[in-house]
Amino acid sequence: MSAEIELSSVFGRYTDKQLNIKVEGSTVGECLKDLFRQFPKLEKLLLTREGKLQHAYDIYINGESAYPEEMTKPVKDGDKLNIVFIIYGG
Amino acid sequence: MLTEKELQRYDRQIMIYGFGEEGQEKLKKARVFIAGAGGLGSPAAIYLAAAGIGTIRMADHDTVELSNLNRQVLHWDENIGEEKAESAVAKLQKLNSDIRIEAIGETLTEANASQLVADSDLIVDAMDNLPTRYLLNKTAIEKGIPFFHGAVYGFEGRAMTVIPGKSACLNCLYHGIAVPKVKFPVIGVTPAVIGCIQATEVIKYITGLGELLTGRLLNYDALSMKFTEFKVNRDPNCEHCGNL
Ligand SMILES: [Zn+2]
Repeated sequence: MSAEIELSSVFGRYTDKQLNIKVEGSTVGECLKDLFRQFPKLEKLLLTREGKLQHAYDIYINGESAYPEEMTKPVKDGDKLNIVFIIYGG
Repeated sequence: MLTEKELQRYDRQIMIYGFGEEGQEKLKKARVFIAGAGGLGSPAAIYLAAAGIGTIRMADHDTVELSNLNRQVLHWDENIGEEKAESAVAKLQKLNSDIRIEAIGETLTEANASQLVADSDLIVDAMDNLPTRYLLNKTAIEKGIPFFHGAVYGFEGRAMTVIPGKSACLNCLYHGIAVPKVKFPVIGVTPAVIGCIQATEVIKYITGLGELLTGRLLNYDALSMKFTEFKVNRDPNCEHCGNL
């Protein structure tokens, strides 16, 4: 399965400024694994030591939240994933 | 009833199809609570005052610092060291002397939030930390009044409108997650956009125009100049609104 992860500009420093990244995987977890293979610095940012998604991040699949149990959610060919982090500044 | 002066002052918006004198009268009767007189609160308050909101309550416990001035446009060089709520109210009253503007310099807490929001018709969430945002979200739900969320980080911003019992709330969105408060990067143009989106939503809600930003999180990425929307469903187990 081939999906696309769309990142906001703030992640650009970890991805050589690429914000639309093609990944392979049939679950969110597999897609993220492929993302980390391409951009290893993102793994520490997004995952806990136990390999779970950090609390401050949410994953959306085609604009719909993958919460809870994000990592096991299925991904279909052509799906678009977004990684969103909590912001609270005013 | 609108006065002759008000008819002149708001002529251009009264002209908008569906707005009319009726819409203007609704704005005049409205009482808006703005939590935070900072980066988001400044543009939101300026445009709501200019639009003729009858009563604006500006709440902020901070004093103006030099490092605020790149974004908190209600405060100027001459206001450094002054209370933000007072500084904001002084400008807003000069902008529109026909409306009522109140300064609340107290810290919002679990104990006083409901009392400070008082009989306001809605809450604009222009805070700078998650705990107070959750507190205001909860207060809005308890009072059954709408909550207009906005947040910024660097060149990125977000907004969502909450109608208690009808659309997802802030707690549904972030599942009550707490993240430590740290100094965040931001440039003034980002909260300018988001604060104006919040003010737009307030005006739409009061006048009954258009479609609100409910059940949708709007994400603004200024560097790629893109708006993205995410669907946000109500959480039946939400600690704030699950029982509604
Ligand atoms: Zn909720």
